[in-house]
Amino acid sequence: MTWNFDILPDFVFNGLSLGAIYGTVALSLVLIFKATTLINFATGELAMIGAFMVYVLHMEQGLWLWLSILIAMIISAGLGALIERTLTRPFDPADHLPVVLITLGLFLIFNALAGDIWNYQVRILSNPFGKFPSWVPGLGGDRFVMVLGSRLKYQSIGIWVTLALALFLLGLILNRTKMGLAFRAVSSNVESARLVGVHTGRTLGFGWALASAFGTLGAVLVAPQLGGVNPNMMATILIYALAGAALGGLDSMGGAVMGGVLIGLIQAVLVMWLGVVVMGQAYMSILQLAAAFVLILIVLLFRPSGLFGSRRVERV
Amino acid sequence: MSDDVIDEVGLVARNLHASYGAVEVLRGLDFEVAQGKVSVILGANGAGKTTTLRAICNMCNSSGDVTLGGQDISRLGTAEIVRRGVAHVPQGRGTFPELSVNDNLLVGAYVRKDKEVNDDIDRWFEIFPRLAERKEQLAGSLSGGEQQMLAVARALMSRPKLLLLDEPSLGLAPLIIEDLFTRFINLNKETGLTMLVVEQNANLALDMADFGYVIESGEITLSGPADQLKSDPAVQEAYLGA
Amino acid sequence: MSSPLVVVAKGGAEHKRWQYVQYLYLASFVLLVPVVLQPFEIGKMNRALVLSVAILAVNLVVGFNGMLALGHSAFMGVGAFVTASLVQDENWDFWMALPVVVMVGFVLGILVGLPALRVKGLYLALITIAQATVFPTLVNIDELGIAKRTGGPNGKGVSEEVIAPSYFEWLPGVDGARGGSAYRYWCIILILGITLLLVTNYIRSRPGRAVLAIRDNEAGAAVYGVNLPVVKTVNFAISAGLGSLAGLMWCLDKGFVAGQDFTFLLAVDLIIGLVIGGVGTLQGSLLGGLFVVWVNDLTKRITIPLGLYTLNGDGPLAKAIFGLILILFTFFAPGGIVSLAKSVQNKLIKVVPIRPDGTPAEDVDSFDPGMESDRAQSAMKLAILGPVLLTIGWLLMNVNNLIVGCVAFGLRFSILVTAPVAMLVGSNELKALLAGRRPESIKAQASMARLLGGLGFLFVLLYGLWLFKTQYSSR
Repeated sequence: MTWNFDILPDFVFNGLSLGAIYGTVALSLVLIFKATTLINFATGELAMIGAFMVYVLHMEQGLWLWLSILIAMIISAGLGALIERTLTRPFDPADHLPVVLITLGLFLIFNALAGDIWNYQVRILSNPFGKFPSWVPGLGGDRFVMVLGSRLKYQSIGIWVTLALALFLLGLILNRTKMGLAFRAVSSNVESARLVGVHTGRTLGFGWALASAFGTLGAVLVAPQLGGVNPNMMATILIYALAGAALGGLDSMGGAVMGGVLIGLIQAVLVMWLGVVVMGQAYMSILQLAAAFVLILIVLLFRPSGLFGSRRVERV
Repeated sequence: MSDDVIDEVGLVARNLHASYGAVEVLRGLDFEVAQGKVSVILGANGAGKTTTLRAICNMCNSSGDVTLGGQDISRLGTAEIVRRGVAHVPQGRGTFPELSVNDNLLVGAYVRKDKEVNDDIDRWFEIFPRLAERKEQLAGSLSGGEQQMLAVARALMSRPKLLLLDEPSLGLAPLIIEDLFTRFINLNKETGLTMLVVEQNANLALDMADFGYVIESGEITLSGPADQLKSDPAVQEAYLGA
Repeated sequence: MSSPLVVVAKGGAEHKRWQYVQYLYLASFVLLVPVVLQPFEIGKMNRALVLSVAILAVNLVVGFNGMLALGHSAFMGVGAFVTASLVQDENWDFWMALPVVVMVGFVLGILVGLPALRVKGLYLALITIAQATVFPTLVNIDELGIAKRTGGPNGKGVSEEVIAPSYFEWLPGVDGARGGSAYRYWCIILILGITLLLVTNYIRSRPGRAVLAIRDNEAGAAVYGVNLPVVKTVNFAISAGLGSLAGLMWCLDKGFVAGQDFTFLLAVDLIIGLVIGGVGTLQGSLLGGLFVVWVNDLTKRITIPLGLYTLNGDGPLAKAIFGLILILFTFFAPGGIVSLAKSVQNKLIKVVPIRPDGTPAEDVDSFDPGMESDRAQSAMKLAILGPVLLTIGWLLMNVNNLIVGCVAFGLRFSILVTAPVAMLVGSNELKALLAGRRPESIKAQASMARLLGGLGFLFVLLYGLWLFKTQYSSR
């Protein structure tokens, strides 16, 4: 195949929608990192459990898909808060190792439990954005719309709208509610937050809950792209989300989303060029991983706190 | 208010102990701050001044009895103590660097449930016009003096009964310190706010205070009315450079 | 039992005897493994020791330098593949490949470490996780002859067998059908021993102290003139070289390497081993390797029926049990097995330092024959308990049930721990008795107890010898 600009928009659309999903999961990581300066390695597995909850509620119990998603998000939020309360609160947040281990342990436990309950085979989960709904004029029932001579899938549009809505909602919660204010205060200065009467523990639990809910949303959105849900579904997604978060700066929410989107875009475009034109389809997934890895290395070499992260001055 | 009568007791600490690991920092302090008065704790570096304030707010490993307005607060968590009316301006920067000046004040009123929060913020902006100019700036970008003003204003946003100040003069230029202390005196005179100030700058602190304590190695070695302390030869030699 | 059972002076005869007991235990463990265990069990032990070296490598970065690195599975993989390729394609000997493999790991460590160590804290964790995740897919790349060297998705076998040369046939366990795994065991023990020696010296050296200083206070170390980037990067590279060495040992042991062996899960295993063994201690790395392999093996055999649902360890749940153990350890024994063992030891025997004037800093127990001592009472209990526990343990072990087996193991273990103390207290008495010097001292109750303690220990020792003999001759 030769280089052909006509197919570029196709890849850009795909990259943007994948990137939006990475951004959602990256946001889940950053929410916890901002409040606690910890990385939750169980983020992906928590999200996977959330996706399976949707699977059980929607595919097995026959609940309306969006209601199932909402319920799953709420349960995940509860689970996240519970984990924070029982497993991470007893530890000194300045010491990273114990909590990293706890989350690694949770990673193993959730993955294995899901594998034991649902096996490791892929289970189909309906696509929340399969076809344009009937009220869209001229497009009802179609899977895509032609834009710039390429197919823009309803799925991509749906993912963008969902992410935008979720971000808007998150912004409202953080900037307009008292809990959000407390969360920002705790992220900024734990000691002072305690001194103005903020219950820091509860606030961190709130952060974990938000993060878990976001992770679940990301997992549900990514499931159709993977053909369904399975216990290992989040492994590579989590790596890309981590890459996105590192790229954007671990303590910047906007940066995380941007980083995720950037990773998605770079993957799509670079991989299209390298994979389709230079080498061949077989190397797509390898190149995607390698590209993400090399990208983080390069960015961190020049900007150790990521593109949008803030540098902190340390005292002895 | 109905609990005015009880409030006259102010803050009373009895047999206050605190330790970091195996090191005992406070070895049984007894002190009190009368309602509406200003008390000051003087001491050299490492004497346990900061730890005293932290022990009151239950932010370190401490034991002993602390009562506020007659009620025992020594078993409560920090957040709960703040709800009982204690505001603490910690040493150095007690602000939230990643929050705007306005949000800093807003979070200062976190424990309040009334509708007058925004009026209070406006009042503080009137008192500290420099903060009003920087309303939307991040607190981390303010200068040291502005941050200290912000920290004090933020602490007072909770409408406390007791204000704890931890070395408010630290790292500030002499002119700014004087300005700041004048404001503290005015605050106390105008609103009758009870204050406990920890200082190394004995001159200024004793000018402002009604009562003073001197602590050394976690024990109170001297105490008395501020004027009396000021003329005490030991204090003069150690803290006033006489 | 909050106060220690016996208090001895540092460097005293009793302390030395205690140390000899420890060396004896270690030596008998090393010697007994290839003799007593079945060949497939020796194979597992080999794997455990290989992981120990890898965990030691992780420990250099995480434990001694305070950096969170989670990607050593990739360095192991590189070491394993380079070894496999050199031995299989170029007909090198394993010993010839060793320096090359270590150098390759070292250079790779510098390449990854230079950018990775510029960033702080969890960013390094991120990069190393990415590194661990990317590695298994990298070996499948068909370009640049990589897949040819690595065998691609099929993995690469090494046909050269590691067989003991005739002049090494005297090594315990090395002969007949067992020669293979037992000889590999000795090779691994040799590399492990030398590695431990070198790492110990490295940590005590000037650069080693700089590494520790960075862990304890990075900014402080910089102020005292430690060149942070250089020390961190070189330390990371040394660690990567060690990781590669572990990869070589892996290849030497298994004779087959595949990308799927070096996934992120292996990296997680290494971290788990590190923490459960004890972060920042050399013994911890050794114990961690043993723990990861043997407990993984153990969880696979657990089956617990819970009404409708049967908890089956031999499925995906093996990992869940492992994760649970990890969390429990983080909560209840953050110092790992090493600190647990230390606290047990401190309850049994306390070593008191000697003042400059030659007297011990605290009162030490008298070990003169016939002296009255409260602790003699405890020694008596131990002396009686020891053989009893041993008998129960032996009986239980013969009932071939896993959980009972675990209890039996626990009992045996407690005897192994308590026996030397009984010996300490009792041996002097025994010596006196054997010399026929103080027969009257035997009449005292305390002396009786000490004698029993000594006899109990002798019994344990003889039992161990008997076990050794029967196992050795039954082959």
